[in-house]
Amino acid sequence: MILLDAITKEYNDDGAVTHALRGISFEIKKGEFVAIMGASGSGKSTLLHILSFLDRPSRGDYFLDGKNINTLTDEELAATRNHTMGFVFQAFNLLGRSSVYENVELPLLYARVPSEQRKIMVEHAVLSVGLSEKMYAEAGKLSGGQKQRVAIARALVNNPSVIFADEPTGNLDSESGAHVMEILERLNNEEGHTVLLVTHETYTAEFANRILTLKDGQLESDIQVKVRRRSKEDFFK
Amino acid sequence: MYFTDLLKTSSRALRHAKMRSLLTILGIVIGIASVIVLVSIGKSAEALILDQVKGVGSNLIFVIPGATKGSRFASPPSVQGIIIKTLVKSDADALKRESTILNVAPEVRGQAKIVYENNDTSVTYTGTTEDFFQMRNFTVAEGFTFTRTDVDSLNRVAVLGSEIAHTLFGARNPVGKNVRLKNILFRVVGVLDKKGLGPFGVDQDNLVIIPLPIAQKQLLGIDHYNVINIQANDAYNIDFTKARVTSVLRQNHAITNPDKDDFTVRTQEDALSLLGNITSVLTLFLTSISCIALIVGGIGIMNIMLVSVVERTKEIGLRKALGATTRDILKQFLLEAVLLTTLGGIIGIVIGVLFVIGLYFILVNFSPTGWAFALPLSSVFIAFLVSTAIGILFGIYPARTAAAKSPIEALRYE
Ligand SMILES: Nc1ncnc2c1ncn2[C@@H]1O[C@H](COP(=O)(O)OP(=O)(O)O)[C@@H](O)[C@H]1O
Ligand SMILES: [Mg+2]
Repeated sequence: MILLDAITKEYNDDGAVTHALRGISFEIKKGEFVAIMGASGSGKSTLLHILSFLDRPSRGDYFLDGKNINTLTDEELAATRNHTMGFVFQAFNLLGRSSVYENVELPLLYARVPSEQRKIMVEHAVLSVGLSEKMYAEAGKLSGGQKQRVAIARALVNNPSVIFADEPTGNLDSESGAHVMEILERLNNEEGHTVLLVTHETYTAEFANRILTLKDGQLESDIQVKVRRRSKEDFFK
Repeated sequence: MYFTDLLKTSSRALRHAKMRSLLTILGIVIGIASVIVLVSIGKSAEALILDQVKGVGSNLIFVIPGATKGSRFASPPSVQGIIIKTLVKSDADALKRESTILNVAPEVRGQAKIVYENNDTSVTYTGTTEDFFQMRNFTVAEGFTFTRTDVDSLNRVAVLGSEIAHTLFGARNPVGKNVRLKNILFRVVGVLDKKGLGPFGVDQDNLVIIPLPIAQKQLLGIDHYNVINIQANDAYNIDFTKARVTSVLRQNHAITNPDKDDFTVRTQEDALSLLGNITSVLTLFLTSISCIALIVGGIGIMNIMLVSVVERTKEIGLRKALGATTRDILKQFLLEAVLLTTLGGIIGIVIGVLFVIGLYFILVNFSPTGWAFALPLSSVFIAFLVSTAIGILFGIYPARTAAAKSPIEALRYE
């Protein structure tokens, strides 16, 4: 469903050019759980931003479901992002003063889903991350792990075909991190969401069935993982 | 986003910063409240002046000696203290023969000391004929007005204004008593009802009215008039009568070139439009002051909105990442500004109306000016629209700033 062909990205800060990505090509199929790894500054976030339309590549082609996104307008990109993508960020990025319900509802508001249908979808999403009893709690007052689960509920509420997660466990203790990863794994396994995960932690990456490694803006390796690590005990090892 | 959801989103953002929202709209509240108060005062003054001009009489035309140069609102030389003797008895007699003229009352005026026993005061006296009272809506509280016989027989009789009667006689009834005006004794035959201020602030209670020939011959020693009061028989005939008066007087004075006119003819309508001009200039002036308050309020809103946009950079990035378009963000922030100013407008309207009502009660209870409460609904409606418009005007720039933020920059923002 995702096809990148020689994607490059340069940042130009007052004449100082940073080559964040230098010709990335790969394909991701529907239902994959892909971890993108690499040292800090290797271009992971930049790649994720391009994949999720938050940024446009300097050069190269990006096909989503066969459509070249270079041909889409910003408004079309916003709509596509809204309908087919879910996001989980390292810093949670919740509206702290709003309730869990209101946070999870957000993508549906921009999708113009009618309110009765919204309620059903929000309740379903919140239930699937196990936070139903916190539905009307203020998001800012939850623990870190709970916040990230709200963020996951928000990411999956519009039933996206792909979920992007940029270091989703980076701000969490290992137990909460494991919980979050289990949820992502379940979404991939049982509900068929494609998951694209950026991480620099090997443990976290082990949930994936494919690991892409970046180095200095280039693809260093692309490994299929045969046997995915399973148990919690392994995670804490 | 559906409009109802947009409304919820924007109003929630404002509720989350209640104190700031209230402080932000203070300028608008004050501006709108002052607009309401000033417009109301202006309208009340206008109504008051209208009453005063109408109170002078109905279907009146005034002839004043001397031409009026320049605009029709310039004052003729006679008003500026230059003595012009062009209006005389033959003019009044000729005017009386006009078919659309009901009454003619020539008028002369002078200043003198009026004395009763040990009391004395300075007063403006008017010498005129018996029709003057009816024409100018003067009614008596005590006694009678003088008659045609009094005028023709040169009787020394006087009608006192209520104020002068009070000054000279206190609580006593002046009718039948003798007062001294320029050392001539006049018998008081009547006291006028209290009339209040006339147009241009003329005091209509501090006067003495005496028969025309006495005033002309014995007090002033003149043959001309200061004013000729004319009453047309019908409101529809005013303009026609005005034209007739002009041509009769030109004929009488043998004037062929209108530029050489030695008199000025004015109707009540002319006085009204002159006063209307004065009050509308005043209203315009007051309104522009309130506009400045509103603009300052608007700039305040813009300022706070800009700060708020910077503070909420991350929220904007998040919304965009979750599918908000540039237009969605623009609408959200614009609506916040409009909600703020409209709320400010509503509060301002309420405060302004309460203030006007308070003012009205104070004036009615403590000052007998006949001040009437006037608050045109249109001004409330316009104030409401203006407050909304200010929201759009001063909200558009912050909203565009918000909408222009790139999602990654915004998400990166700490
Ligand atoms: N907006 C930007 N402007 C300039 N340089 C940037 C910007 N974003 C990222 N970079 C640079 O691009 C490179 C890749 O960054 P990033 O994709 O954030 O790496 P990672 O997420 O792997 O740590 C780094 O050298 C970073 O400094
Ligand atoms: Mg990064």
